[in-house]
Amino acid sequence: MSELLSAWEETYKKGQLTLWVFLSLKDGKKCVDEIKSFVEEQSNQTMTCKSQSLYRNLRKCQHVGIVDFETGEGNKGPERKYYFLTELGLELLNSFIERNINLFFSKQIKNLILSED
Amino acid sequence: MKTITKNLLAFSIGLIALTIAFRFSLSTMLQNRLFGSVWIVATIYGILIFIIGWIFGKKEKMNLPLYDIGFRFHLATYIICNLIAEIWHLIGLQSEYENVRILHLTVIYWGIGLLIHFIIYLVTRKNAIKGIEKSEIFE
Repeated sequence: MSELLSAWEETYKKGQLTLWVFLSLKDGKKCVDEIKSFVEEQSNQTMTCKSQSLYRNLRKCQHVGIVDFETGEGNKGPERKYYFLTELGLELLNSFIERNINLFFSKQIKNLILSED
Repeated sequence: MKTITKNLLAFSIGLIALTIAFRFSLSTMLQNRLFGSVWIVATIYGILIFIIGWIFGKKEKMNLPLYDIGFRFHLATYIICNLIAEIWHLIGLQSEYENVRILHLTVIYWGIGLLIHFIIYLVTRKNAIKGIEKSEIFE
């Protein structure tokens, strides 16, 4: 059972990171460390991500125009990149949530999720 | 989209150095009639090109996985290898056993291969958004 659960979760989580990152940016501008903390805390540590992977994902998102950054001073001195969702990014996130996440809030599905039978 | 990137530039510099070294070794060996040993130099040259292409190509992909990396690196290799070989002959550094006709034929046949690669590049462009393959954007 636990092996099956781990295998399912591993595949499930791979597709979840972008959503968590975008949610963290919807919450406000953040540097990579802050995004990482947000994702880990808000997902109750079920989602973990490496800073290097986050930088790579953010570079791709910036390249296609859904994320951008501005530089600002970090707590420990050197300038940091503070990422935010662009207008296109926000529109994309809202469309994604509407089509894929809101489904889970329908009464029938909610009942199925909450029922233990 | 940036065409000449830091990694492509580093690869090109390495390739120029390797190609000059290869041309020099090849002409020297042929001039000294070491016909049976030429393949060793050619093989080492081929392996080294593959290694630097692998290293810088991978770095380039890690930085931003643009779908045209392979074509840009191929184009740079085609230009550098053929240009150096042609210049080598033009300024008379070749051995008396090297035939310039073979170089021209290489340019043509390799050029056909490059053209096919260019067509593939144009076709795969349809699966990309701003140069990144759709399946890789949110990977």
